[in-house]
Order: sequence, then structure tokens, then C-alpha cells
Amino acid sequence: MGLRDDLERFRAVGEDRREDLADFIQYGDLGHSGADEINVPIKIVSLPEFAYDRRDRGGVGQGDGDTPDVGQPVGQPQPQPGDGDEEGDPGEEGGEHEYYEMDPEEFAQELDEELGLDLDPKGKTVVEEHEGPFTDLTRSGPNSTLDVERMFREGLKRKVAMAFDENFVREVCKVEGITPREVFEWARGERLPVSMSWIERAHESVADERGTWASIEEVEAGVDRQPVQQRIRRDGIDHVPLRRDDERYRHPEIVEERERNVVVVNIRDVSGSMRETKRELVERVFTPLDWYLTGKYDTAEFVYIAHDAEAWAVEREDFFGIRSGGGTKISSAYELAAELLEAYPWSDWNRYVFAAGDSENSSNDTSERVIPLMEEIPANLHAYVETQPSGNAINATHAEELEKHFGPDDEDVAVTYVNSPDDVAGAIYDILSTESEPDE
Amino acid sequence: MREPEHRRKRAIATDLEEPVTAARNLAAKLGLEPYPVRYWIVDHDEMNELIAYGGFQRRYPHWRWGMQYDRQQKQDRYTGARAFEIVNNDNPSHAFLQESNSLADQKAVITHVEAHADFFANNDWFGLFTDRRSDSDDVDAAAMLERHSRAIEAYMADPEIDRSDVERWIDHVLSLEDTIDQHRPYRGRLERDVEPPDLDDDLQETLENLDLSSEVTSEVFDDEWLEARAADDGDGDPSTPETDVLGFLREYGKAYDPEEERAVELTDWQRDILEILREEAYYFAPQQMTKVMNEGWAALWESRMMADEAFAGDDEVVEYADHMASVLASPGLNPYSLGLALWQYIENVTNRREVVEHLLRVDGITWRTLTEDIDFDAVLDRLEPPAAIDSIDSASLSALETVPDAWVDADALEAARAGRIDVDRYPWRVLSYEGLARRHYSLVKPANRGVFERIGRDRLEELGRYIFDSDRYDSVDEAVAAVDFTAGWDRLFDVRESHNDVTFLDEFLTAEFVRENDYFTYEYSQATGQFHVASTDPEDVKRKLLLQFTNFGKPTITVADGNYDNAGELLLEHEYNGIELDFEQAKAVLERVFELWGRPVNLLTIRKELDDHDVEVAKRRNREPTPDERGVRLRHDGTETTVERVDWTAVEHLAADDVDYDTKPDEWLA
Repeated sequence: MGLRDDLERFRAVGEDRREDLADFIQYGDLGHSGADEINVPIKIVSLPEFAYDRRDRGGVGQGDGDTPDVGQPVGQPQPQPGDGDEEGDPGEEGGEHEYYEMDPEEFAQELDEELGLDLDPKGKTVVEEHEGPFTDLTRSGPNSTLDVERMFREGLKRKVAMAFDENFVREVCKVEGITPREVFEWARGERLPVSMSWIERAHESVADERGTWASIEEVEAGVDRQPVQQRIRRDGIDHVPLRRDDERYRHPEIVEERERNVVVVNIRDVSGSMRETKRELVERVFTPLDWYLTGKYDTAEFVYIAHDAEAWAVEREDFFGIRSGGGTKISSAYELAAELLEAYPWSDWNRYVFAAGDSENSSNDTSERVIPLMEEIPANLHAYVETQPSGNAINATHAEELEKHFGPDDEDVAVTYVNSPDDVAGAIYDILSTESEPDE
Repeated sequence: MREPEHRRKRAIATDLEEPVTAARNLAAKLGLEPYPVRYWIVDHDEMNELIAYGGFQRRYPHWRWGMQYDRQQKQDRYTGARAFEIVNNDNPSHAFLQESNSLADQKAVITHVEAHADFFANNDWFGLFTDRRSDSDDVDAAAMLERHSRAIEAYMADPEIDRSDVERWIDHVLSLEDTIDQHRPYRGRLERDVEPPDLDDDLQETLENLDLSSEVTSEVFDDEWLEARAADDGDGDPSTPETDVLGFLREYGKAYDPEEERAVELTDWQRDILEILREEAYYFAPQQMTKVMNEGWAALWESRMMADEAFAGDDEVVEYADHMASVLASPGLNPYSLGLALWQYIENVTNRREVVEHLLRVDGITWRTLTEDIDFDAVLDRLEPPAAIDSIDSASLSALETVPDAWVDADALEAARAGRIDVDRYPWRVLSYEGLARRHYSLVKPANRGVFERIGRDRLEELGRYIFDSDRYDSVDEAVAAVDFTAGWDRLFDVRESHNDVTFLDEFLTAEFVRENDYFTYEYSQATGQFHVASTDPEDVKRKLLLQFTNFGKPTITVADGNYDNAGELLLEHEYNGIELDFEQAKAVLERVFELWGRPVNLLTIRKELDDHDVEVAKRRNREPTPDERGVRLRHDGTETTVERVDWTAVEHLAADDVDYDTKPDEWLA
């Protein structure tokens, strides 16, 4: 108990009350999160209490240097005595908000669980060969690496295999008129690992007592045989024969560490037809994808391409904000993507090319330019996300054409439709579950 | 603790021994009567931990301490704000000083802490918890909290009890931690039949002396409240309204057994935890009830000791001033600056009244002529402390023979003369309480000189009415000479004893203060969907402020019936003051109350209902729609919560029609 315990309990409580991840992606405020830290709002961590309705209560504020005019709107009310943390309507709340912080790794893991995904990132570049644990064995090597335990074990096995109940054999030698050869024959029949010379020695040493038993059957009836294990337990191991044959030297295994690198190309149509809602939908799909892939791979690089009739590379901060007035030519973006991807050779990098837009494209551009380019650019996955909040526009055919060409089951191309935030989680699932098995 | 760390703290502690002793002496000289204080040096993390745990090292296991620690850490990571001290209400008090504070900060904190410890020891509201406990007036809070912690830990560790059940139970109870009767002395049991007979008389008298406005009286100490208190006497029947909801549940609550599908008696651990948390709620309540007063009080004496008595060294005073300025300047409703300003106001106004009453007795002067006949500046000059006590050093000691004996601490003077007291460093040691009050007389300070002049005619008239013709003075000089210079301080000590934030603000928050600090009220507009400035009228601001300090700024919920509907159901009532409940939260609380009652629970309240059409019309006309007030009953039966309209007659008694917290003007959204 104590602070650590209480902190842990708080985190656990926070986790329980954390906004459902799918809800967060679809409807939550993504703005509080950065590229490396995802902040999922926590519903209510404070306990409920009898409180005044915040709106009905109003409050007292303090002007900054002068008293404001009556009727002037006040922004977020200042915290008032008696305020707990409470949940109100979105937008009505003050800056006080609790967040559950997770890094991209945790995000990816949680999303896997939430959506039942199973994306296994592929290692591409061999960055390092290093010595793993000493698990391989050779017949020679420095003394310090000699596997003594193994040698002893082998010797012990041999000893157990060679041991036999000497007393019993000796008793057999005492049978009236028996010859060493007869004892040996009997021992053979009993599968005892005893040599002829040992029997001859024993036979001679009990010559005086010969006649103690009338027959072998009588010995078997009168003397208890003792199994090997029992004897070892009683007398100790005595001597374990170690042999050169059993010497083994341990040496390290060579492990190839493959770094899992990913480059994600995000392409967004910024032409005039892409209005506010469409932009937001794209952001809702792309941002979690970025987090997810960042969490799954060791190194994640992002390329952002905005396009109308032409394409240009932009920074992430600008990517979702850009608007332009031009027409649309999706192939321009793929041409630029192909060019930029040269810096990330397919042999070393996993590649994801995600494009989003409202499916409006210049005539024939899709079939004549985009599809061939998509086929030419090797990638783990090509995806197109159509965002059409108002349903289908007549000339919005890009997604449809892609689907027709590649077929719904193509493992390298995913086409999804996002018409409202409700579709976001489904789209993300479609995209991430489409990836084909590695070709290697 | 690691060794070097330990040594470092030890060294700081050694450096602070001298200032601590000096501060304690000075505090006593100034008239403060603090609990003994134990000081501890802590590092940054320890400080955050102490703050998270409410100032104590051991509390029962709970996630909210973890949450507060987490928040505290983030706060100083992101805002750079840091805590300087924390002091707990205990006898002896324990104060924790952060090791990274500069010496100037440490001294400031020590003086601040001494004043808090005085407040804890002398404010009557704190007394409600301590006075009636066992046989001593020891708080012994640390021991109590540790005992609680051990008890709850033991329940959690008990293999017979599921830890998560204990945690859930704590959460249920904490949802109601503010629904106690914080105006009543804490008693272990809800002994509604053993009311000490003298208490109500005392109370009545105290209330009368407080000079409260009718709003407060009607809101807090209304007849109903007094009657309810009286009615409680000799009435242990669970059908009487009860403000101590937690206490009621502790006596009559049950738990719901989902397997047997019925209410069962509380287990020992459940009842024990309920009582533990209730006791802690009572213990912490006075701190919430006196936040403004207490912080202001500490700031007042801190500044008096640090700046006025040069407790800060010359090189430290600038740093101290900076620190003080930043504390007082933090935005929003800042209890430090609000409280400090009110205390200063009380001191000035009391002193002014004392002087004016004397001046009104000078022959030939009446309240009508006072402002013309009296040269205020000349009077203020006469009120200046004499040089002999204004600046004291080892060379000027003989000058003290010229001042009244009452101003001088004769023993200390003797010691100073003999060189046993370093009077150059601690000049105040040779003065008495009277001498120090004279030395720091408020009206002549540059910042306060205007106070005297600003006295209004109505105030003069009021004072003039009580001046009798006897006891006349022949001259202004004679009148001024008779002024009691300790009047201001004496009043401060009286007020710190009897008031809480509500009565304090009600009595001393002036229109002037509201205007000077640009306070305003804001209200939510249904028409625009946002908050707007509603009023800058000091009366409105004050009313709104009082709302936020009354009953911890929370709605008043009472138990009306423990056998509602003759079915053993619990009926809670919301004493509606024109502001409706946060219904979402109320429903969530009811679910938890169910767990503590074991049977269905009900809550009667009043809801403001708006017609969509009216809102539309209002929007178009730039007006506010008028809501209909309807009675509703919330009910939770263990599986679902229902909200049902009830007839107005069922809630009529809950509606207060003599208070109005709505400060919206008729036309405000131009």
C-alpha cells in the first residue's frame, strides 16, 4: 500500500473509464494527441456528487484590468469553488480533462484487441548479427566453454546402461555344477550387460559355495533382484565413466536482428470538392493508422502528399489543413509517391500507400494512369479511402473503378468507403486486415 | 532515506531552527496563539505526495490520492507552479517545507504557517470537530488518519473480504462526503437526542452577533434550520429531516444482497468504513468552510512579520515581495488576495471607527460638520507612531522611557539592555502587543491613508447617532490621545474566532472591493448557448459569491424520510434555492446511495423545464426563455433510475422563494 499502490489503482480506474478506443477514434478529440503520445479522454474519474447544474449556477469572474460590459460573452468560465470535475456537454467544459496516455505501441496493441487485428510486421533490413545465447554445440573449443554437465549426464547414462545386479549373477554362479559359459548364456537371455571375463572371475571366487542352489529357478525364487536405480540410490554412483566422446563445447548462436522499418505514404485530395467534413473524415482514418503503424514497427517514416491536379509533398502539421481550389488528378500523387519511395527500397522497407479523397478524378486518369502506377509501386498495401458524407456523387468513380479492377479479395489493395464517423473504425479494420502474406 | 539526502535536509533544518524560534516569539507578541508546530524538510516528490494526501503521511488506500499525485506532478511539470509549504490542522501542527525553497521563502512560509496554526487552534468552526471529542481538545488528526488507514488496510487484506468490495464501498461513501451537517459538532454517532442544552442559546447569540445580512440568515441559518435543530432534540425517529445524510446512513443504512435479492444488515467493516469516512469528512469540513479567511489570515500575518517587522533580511525582502506578489496575482477567485483584502479592510474600518467615534466627541463637532472641521492629514500625522517605537535599535532603547509602559515589554527591555537580546535584529522583542499594534497602526500606512478620508456621510451619521453628550473632549488632540490603538487588531482576532467564509464575505465584502477588483457575475444564456457577463452590481456579485461558499458550494440535500411510502424506501430532498441540480450526477449518486441503503432511494427536487418552441422564440427576439419549475422525483431501485414529474404540492416546501441567485438583467444580449 502507499503511493505506488494508489497510483496504480488510479491508473487501473482510469483505464476502466477510458473512452472506448473505437469511440475515441470515431468521435473523440484527436487534437490532444501528438505523433508519439495518444491521449484518450477518460470519461469520469471523479466520483459523482450532488452538485449544481453548471449552466444554471453561473458564477463570478474577475476582469483583467477593467470590468467587462454586461452581455459580453465570457469564454470558458473560471473554476469556481465547489467545482468538482464533471462531465458536461462537449465544448462546454473547461480545460480540465483527464487523459489516459498511451504510446503508439500500446495503441497498436489495444487496437489489435479492439478490432481483432493480427498484423505481423515484417522485418526487412538485417541491421545486426549478434551472438545470441550459447546454445549451439561443437566438439572442440576453449575449456571454459566445455559443457561439463552434458558430459557427466552422458557418462551417467552409460553407467546406468552398463550396470547390472552383480549380487544376483554371483548367486547364479553358485548353482550346483554350473559352468561360466552356462551363466553367460543365461545372462544373455536376461539381457544383462555382463562380460564373459567378469563371469569367469565371479565363478572362480565362489567355487567353495557352489552347490548353494540346486538350479537357476531356485535362485530366482530365493533371491530378490535389485533394479539399478535402487542400487545407485543405496550405494551412490561410485564412479561415472567420462569419455572424450562426450566432450562438447558450447558456442553462441548467431542471431540475425531484422529491423522492421515502415514507410507510410499518406495521400490526400485537397481539391475544391474536399470540404470540411470530408477532410475531417480523412484525418480520422489516417491519424489512427499512423499511430498504429508507428506502434507496430521499429522505425516509421511518413510521407505526406497533397494533391489536386498536381501533387506536392508537405509536412504533417500542414497535411490536414491544406485546401486548394484546383481540379483533381490522382495519378499526380502516385507519380510523386513512386519518386519519393525510391529513398525507401522495397527490399529494406515495408511500404504502405494510403490515399483518400472523394473519388472524383479526371476522366480516364484512374484506369490509364493510377491503376498501372499502383501495380508498379511495390507495397505491402495500397489503400484508397473514399469519403463522401453525402453519399455518391455522379462522377465519383475512382474507388469503384479500383474495386472493379483489383477485385474485392485482392490482398494488396483495399478500397473502403467512409461516409460518416461511424464508418471510421470499420474502414481501419478493412485496411489493416487486407494486407497479404509476405511473398518471401 | 539515503544518507546524503538525510544530511542535506538536516543541514537545512539546522539553518531554520533560529528563524522558527524567532517566528514563534514574534507570533506570540502579535497576539497569535498557534498550536505548536513541528517543521519537516521534504523534497519535491515528498511535497507532491503530501499535497496529494491532504497534508498527511498516511491515509487509507485509495486511487484518488494517486490521481491527485499524478495531477500535482503534471501541474508542476507543465505550469512550473510549485508548492512552498503545506501545514495540517493538528495539535501539534505539522508543517512541511520544501528543501529547494530559498531562505527568504522558508522564512515567509514559517510565518505563514504560524498564522495557519493560530487559525486552526482558535477558529470556532475547527472547534466543532475538536471540542466535543473525548476528554481533551487535542485534534490528534495524524493519529486518527493513521488509525483509519490501518483499519481499512486490514479490511482490504482480510481474505474473507474482497478487496474490490472495500474499494467500491469507499467510492460509494465518498460520493456523499459533503452531505454532512458541517454546522454541528462532530459526534461519533448520530445522537440526535443528546443536544447539549446550552448549544442552541450560544448559537442563537453567535448568530445575532454576526451581523449577517438577511440573505445569509435566510439561506443558512433560517428559522427552519433552527427549528430543525430544536426538533432534533429528543427525536431519534428516522422520519425527521436530517442534514447529516452520511450519519443517517450509518445508523439506518443497509446493503443490497444481489443473491438474496433483498436488503441485509451492513457488515461490521461496511459500517466501520462509513463511520471512518464520515469522521474524516467532519475533520476536513472546517478547512473548506474557511478557505478564504484562513488563507487571507496567513497572508496578513506573513506580510506583517516578513515586511513590517523585517523578519526577512534586507537582502531577502525583495525576493519575498516578488513571491508574495505572484501568489496574490494568480487569476480567478483567489482566496489569498480576497481574504487578505478583507482582513485589511476589517482592520482599517475598525480603526477608523475608533478614531471617528473619538473625534465626534470633540466639543463642537457633529457628524454633519466633521469632514469640514477636521483636518484629516493633521489627525493622521498625530496618529503616526512615535519615533521611539517606530525605529528601535540598541542605541535608541532609552527613548522607550518616553512611551506608555503598556507598550513595552519590560523584561525584554531589561534583557536587551544587558545585551541578552539582539535588539538590532529583533527590535520587536522589547515591545508588547499594545506597542506592536501602535507601531503598525494601519491607518497611517501609505496604502491606507485614503481610508480615513473616504468615510461616507451615511456612515458618519450612523456613528454619530450613538455618541452621547457625556465624555466630551475639549480638543482634537485630546480625542486622538484617547484612541485605542489595538482596536483593529482586537477585532481581527474576534472575527477569526467566530466567522466562516460565508459570514465573513457577507459581512465584510464591500461594494468598493467588488468594483476595485473588477468582479462580475456571469450567467448562461439559453438563447446564445454560452455564458455572458450578467452583472457588475456589487450586490449581485456578493450574492453569487455567497452561493458558491454556502454549503461547500453544493446543493443542500437532506434525508426527509427513512420509511418512504411505508416501504422502507429512502427519501432525500433537495432544498431548492432556484438553482437546479446537475441531474446526470444526481442520478449517478443515487445509484451509489442505493448501495448504502439497500432498498430503493428517491430524491425530490425541482427542475427547470424549457419548451423548445420558447427557446426558438427567445433566440429570435434576443431574450431569455422563462423556464417552468416543476417538481420531479428521481428514483433508483437497484436496476434502473427513473425521473418522474410530481405534483407541485409535493415539492412546494422545498422551494425557497426569498432568495434569487439569478443575476441576469432583463435586457442583456444587445
